[in-house]
Amino acid sequence: MSTNLELPMFTNNSEAELGGRWGMVIDKDLCTGCQACVAACSMENNVPFVGEEDAGYGRSMQWIRIERLWEGLDGDYREVKMTDYQPLMCQQCHNAPCEPVCPVYASVHSMSEDLNLQVYNRCVGTRYCANNCPYQARVFNWRDYADYRETNTADNDPRWSVFQNQLNPDVTVRRRGVMEKCTFCIQRIHQAENQAKAEGREVRDGEFTTACAQACPANAIVFGRIDDPESMVSLAAETSRGSRLHEELRTMPRVTYLAGGA
Amino acid sequence: MSQQFSRRDFLKLAGLGAATTAVLTGCGPSSRYVKREPYQQMPEYNAIGQSTYYATTCRECAAGCGLILRTFQGRALKVEGNANHPLNLGKTCARGQATLQGLYNPDRVTDPVKRASRGSDSTQPMDWDTAVQTVADALTNYKPNEIAFLMGTAPDHLFDLVTDLANAAGMNAPIRFGALSMFEARATLSKAAESLFGQAGMPSFDLGGADVVVSFGANFLETWLSPVSYTREYARMRRGNPKQRGYFIQFESRMSQTASKADEWIPLRPGTEGLVALALGRLVAEAKGGSLPRAFSGVDPAEVAAAADVSLETLEHVAHMIVSAHTPIAVPGGSALGQSNGQTVAEAVLALNALVENVGKSGGVFLSPLSPNQDAYHQPASAKEMQDFVNQMASGKFKVLFIHGVNPVFELPKSIDFKGALSGVEQVISFATFPDETALEADYVFPDHQGLESWGYQRVVTGTSQQVISGAQPVVTPYFNTRATADVLIAAAQLAGGKFAATLPFKDEVEFLNSKVSALMGEADGSFTAPDPVTFMAYFQQYGGWWNKSDVRVSAGNSNPLNRNIAGIEADFVGSGEYFFLPFVSPSLAETGANKPTLQELPDPTTTVMWNTWIEMNPETAKELGIENDDVVKVVSDTGEVEASVYLYPAIRPDVIAMPFGQGHTAYGQFAAGRGVNPSDLLGAHFNEAGDLAFAGTKVTIQKTGKKRQLSRKEGLIGVYEFRPE
Amino acid sequence: MTSLAKPLARPHAEEHEDPREHLMHDPLPRGKMNEMVMEAMHETNWKFWVVTGILAVLVATCLGYAWYYLIDKGLGVAGVNMPVFWGIFLVDVVFWIGISHAGTFISAILRVLKVESRRPFTRAAELMTTFGLVQAAISVFMHMGRVWLSYWMAPIPNERMIWPDFHSPLMWDFMAISTYLLCSTMYLFLPLIPDMAMARDRSTGWRKTLYKILGLGFRGTEGEWKNLTTAMNLFAFAIIPVMFSVHTIVSWDFAMASRPGWSSTVFGPYFVIGALHSGMAAVAIVLFLLRSTMKHYKYFIRPEHFDTIGMLMLLVSMAWAYFYFNDYIVPWYGGDVWDKLFQEWAEKGPLWYLWYTMLFCNIVVPWSILWNKKWRRTPWLLASAGILINVGMWLERYIIIPEGLTINRMPFTWRLYIPGVEIALTVGMFALFLLLYMLASRVIPLIPVWEVQEGQEAHLLRKIGKAEIPTLSELE
Repeated sequence: MSTNLELPMFTNNSEAELGGRWGMVIDKDLCTGCQACVAACSMENNVPFVGEEDAGYGRSMQWIRIERLWEGLDGDYREVKMTDYQPLMCQQCHNAPCEPVCPVYASVHSMSEDLNLQVYNRCVGTRYCANNCPYQARVFNWRDYADYRETNTADNDPRWSVFQNQLNPDVTVRRRGVMEKCTFCIQRIHQAENQAKAEGREVRDGEFTTACAQACPANAIVFGRIDDPESMVSLAAETSRGSRLHEELRTMPRVTYLAGGA
Repeated sequence: MSQQFSRRDFLKLAGLGAATTAVLTGCGPSSRYVKREPYQQMPEYNAIGQSTYYATTCRECAAGCGLILRTFQGRALKVEGNANHPLNLGKTCARGQATLQGLYNPDRVTDPVKRASRGSDSTQPMDWDTAVQTVADALTNYKPNEIAFLMGTAPDHLFDLVTDLANAAGMNAPIRFGALSMFEARATLSKAAESLFGQAGMPSFDLGGADVVVSFGANFLETWLSPVSYTREYARMRRGNPKQRGYFIQFESRMSQTASKADEWIPLRPGTEGLVALALGRLVAEAKGGSLPRAFSGVDPAEVAAAADVSLETLEHVAHMIVSAHTPIAVPGGSALGQSNGQTVAEAVLALNALVENVGKSGGVFLSPLSPNQDAYHQPASAKEMQDFVNQMASGKFKVLFIHGVNPVFELPKSIDFKGALSGVEQVISFATFPDETALEADYVFPDHQGLESWGYQRVVTGTSQQVISGAQPVVTPYFNTRATADVLIAAAQLAGGKFAATLPFKDEVEFLNSKVSALMGEADGSFTAPDPVTFMAYFQQYGGWWNKSDVRVSAGNSNPLNRNIAGIEADFVGSGEYFFLPFVSPSLAETGANKPTLQELPDPTTTVMWNTWIEMNPETAKELGIENDDVVKVVSDTGEVEASVYLYPAIRPDVIAMPFGQGHTAYGQFAAGRGVNPSDLLGAHFNEAGDLAFAGTKVTIQKTGKKRQLSRKEGLIGVYEFRPE
Repeated sequence: MTSLAKPLARPHAEEHEDPREHLMHDPLPRGKMNEMVMEAMHETNWKFWVVTGILAVLVATCLGYAWYYLIDKGLGVAGVNMPVFWGIFLVDVVFWIGISHAGTFISAILRVLKVESRRPFTRAAELMTTFGLVQAAISVFMHMGRVWLSYWMAPIPNERMIWPDFHSPLMWDFMAISTYLLCSTMYLFLPLIPDMAMARDRSTGWRKTLYKILGLGFRGTEGEWKNLTTAMNLFAFAIIPVMFSVHTIVSWDFAMASRPGWSSTVFGPYFVIGALHSGMAAVAIVLFLLRSTMKHYKYFIRPEHFDTIGMLMLLVSMAWAYFYFNDYIVPWYGGDVWDKLFQEWAEKGPLWYLWYTMLFCNIVVPWSILWNKKWRRTPWLLASAGILINVGMWLERYIIIPEGLTINRMPFTWRLYIPGVEIALTVGMFALFLLLYMLASRVIPLIPVWEVQEGQEAHLLRKIGKAEIPTLSELE
């Protein structure tokens, strides 16, 4: 008779976990770079504006940025091509490089959603996570941007308080010295899950979506359960055009990009 | 007053006073349905932790997308698209998302004010009674034909109200205008359709059903006509058919956001779009065989290729794409129409559609249907009509000018001197929500609610093949001491009495809306039915509007539109400069976005510049002139000059200088004022055949200033341009 | 026990030298030497207080006020941005830890190897270690976004029920630096005890009380000396691995990150060598300053000591050069496109001149000056070389951290870093370092008198024929 002396291993590498839960597909062929997702995200997630100077110095707080590069810059202007617009948000890696480097567990992995969480209250602002993110998807509160008085001169104008009315009560307002990033609209995920639980069912595909996917006029962003092979997002990911960013790093991102062109 | 004042008199007077007050103040929409309830029975919109959703209509442009507003304890939190709305199917653009920052804008006009003098910041707050009295006096003290209304392209219910009032009282018909309509060249499109198909109307382009799209400068992914619906149709064109990806070719002298999504961007010399369309028509017709239609007979493709600075092979290749396509479509728009020969361009391009026989078909061109409560298509004033209007103002024809929802002092070219012409008007009353440049020149500002606090409806002119009347309702109680302009006009009309009161026999705006909306009850094929007007109105608000269930595609009447001559001419350019000047509407700001900080901080899609104006210049040109990135240069035209920083834009013709429209405000709140420059300062009163502004028909010179001012960019210059990886 | 110590001067090479050039062969009476050191500590002229005053003002404004401003407004007043999330603060951390390295290296390694010329300057070097670590710790705190919560990184049981994450290289760093600070303070203190006792016996008033406490009642009995020597030997051996590990761990902050140019296995030894490079140079500067400002110190600190340090500097600079180019060869062999860009960026980017300045300071300067014995023995020249090497090493860290952070895997974000309030804070930190050192020079004998005396007693000049031959007696 043998005894199994192996201790139970708590990893995030079981078959089911590697598959992921929530995921996104972004069709670069459809993205027109219109920035509707960026605006929608900012409105949903209380992302503040930072003003001209800081924005131009790489300090804008938007959780999504739409990247584009050029091809053929050295040739004739007729041959210049813009690469497809690439909306870039947190890729919600399964093996996230941002997580192990945080000394205070502010950047942690959620087992239940398989997402990277940023716990604002724990963050002490070492900014190691942002350094280690291969996608540069994290943004830092360099100043008290959420307090609009800080970014502008009209200090004692009581009318400033009106801006606070648009803040989403489901999302924490971040103060200076704290790292933040895209959360896959986790407040919406939780709301849908709670609703489904109360009704004794699973969350239906397409029942809710993230603010960016909801706004996207071209339907370039699809969000949903990637562990469900029948979901829209799984079907969309299963084309020959799909790839993930910097797959060579084995971060296992949960965002699939569909390449443009024929 | 030695008379005895009896108790009876007192009660009479008091009663009268109360009634007046009720009329004047009690008809605000929010106070209409106030009901006392026990604390335990909170209405749903006030329950702790519960969000309430309201359907309304976006007012950031005239397209009329349906919105669903998430509100929470009386605050509007988030704009979402109305998934049932046929125009936008649940989607929004960035400007729609940011409309909340209009609602909660710290710079709004908070009270009715009287201005000390025009152009001055110092104002005297008024109460609404006096304000309404002022409007009533303006209506009664002047002859009807001395009263003019200038209105924006949204909302339509107010336009209908003013039209009714003007018609009944014999006033001048209200004029509508907007920067977007100026840059969209709506009049040109509709006149071209009329001259080609014998029927006026807004052409609508069914991109989604097409497999090859050839666009002539149409910026349909940015601000053109109805960007959300065109973006959706673009996506359908690309990936709607899983077997075949749609192909997209854009002729434009600068790579706009729309052109950046094209498979082929073909830069041509500005002003030759019409010639290229005709040449393509000829090549296509020749490839198809049969007799050459008259419209294309007078053009020589080789000459055109030389004039347009495009190789003949390219034109032949495009023609081949069109011939081998199932459902090709050609779209005219943007800078192609803003030329002195804009209407010819539009006709040539529409003729190309007629040649491939897609008119009225799926994947082709059709005329947008009129709304059921509309007798004719009321297009916004063209720039030429605005110039006439301004001339009339200057000549003193109008004694009173009411302005609502438009900012012509900023938007119209400086050469059409709206601000100067205001001096010919005795009394200017603005209903501006924000302290814009025009409101600054008004004697009174009686602020309207912001769009999300307002009732109303908007007719969807284009972008969908259904007839849509999009409904608006307040999603929050008005935040400031503002009042709906419709309410003010109704109250003033009551005070003015006579014809005015008879035309608008309503208690308030909502009653007026009821009267208009309930007229739809009889329409067949509506999206909903209701047994009585009250229920009908409730559904109207709940669904966010009314539309018919099936497509209404108006195809053109003329059976042989190609049997006519289209003058194959190049456009004229004014100005002695050596560079073509190409203003375009900033995709993220458009006409009203500059006061919303989130929009200011949205990177421009192509250049990623935020918060300011830039000048796009080809690096080759810059090298010749010794100009570097972020150098401030002066752009000089015959009518004006502006200074801004240079963005070395690789995808623009070396002989073209481009600038975005949307910044350069001198007023309009702290986020907009003093930021950037306005390219319309450079434009002359130069029109195309249809009277639309030839905004792309100017030539300019470039002067160095020696200054440098860094543009705020989202991109890092290093990785994108200077030190880029292979 | 036989001594491992070697005679300091080799007879062949220095046949014609006066052996009294060497401190060990130029003994003074013990009482006289004690007096000299006490005098150097007590006698203060107005120049000293002027410099102290200026430094104090600098510390109050550049460090105190600027840091308050930084905390109040947030890191926006510094130059950090996306993608350069780490700026000059981290450069300063690495720089100061590097400086603090040499103190221990010189003291512990030379003590273990019984290199006789170490005797007069171990104390000055050890003090540099401790004060350097203080600066490094301050830099870490300034770098943090929410410094008021920095105690969350400490593993203390707390009501939040959260332990720090020891996966994070920052935690290793945190532990390593605190261990090193503790060890080096102890190691500074142990050899100080006999000198404190000496000072106690020669002072009055508050100083006497202070020295009484610090002297721990040391009377100089055989037993006390034996215990002290054992403790010092233990610490000298123990602190060497700590010292090597600390800078290796500092390098892991970078090497463990998945960034191009950082993720390199050679970073550990490379950072240690880099630290020694700057640290040695710093010792040379400090010795020069002490020798030229403190009374009687010309007796203690002599060209021979600069000679020793100069040779070490040359050796270290060669080792550093090897590691630096090794760091080029390995990525070249690996062929990673991002690593290649990272290196090209330093050489050909807009800040190329920093790269050339660094190589000039770190390689050309030591290699051209330190080969020459005469030059090595010229204090001001060695101190100048030291300053240049420190500039070079600071630049090297600047190139790795804020300049290198521009290059990441998303070219769209590449952006330069323009320092802001960091500059003031760095100036303030240098001022604080000097200020601490100057104040310490008033209370601590910067020369370990007993060690010098011990050495001198062991070294004798024996007259054989006409020549005086240096000899060495058994120490223990």
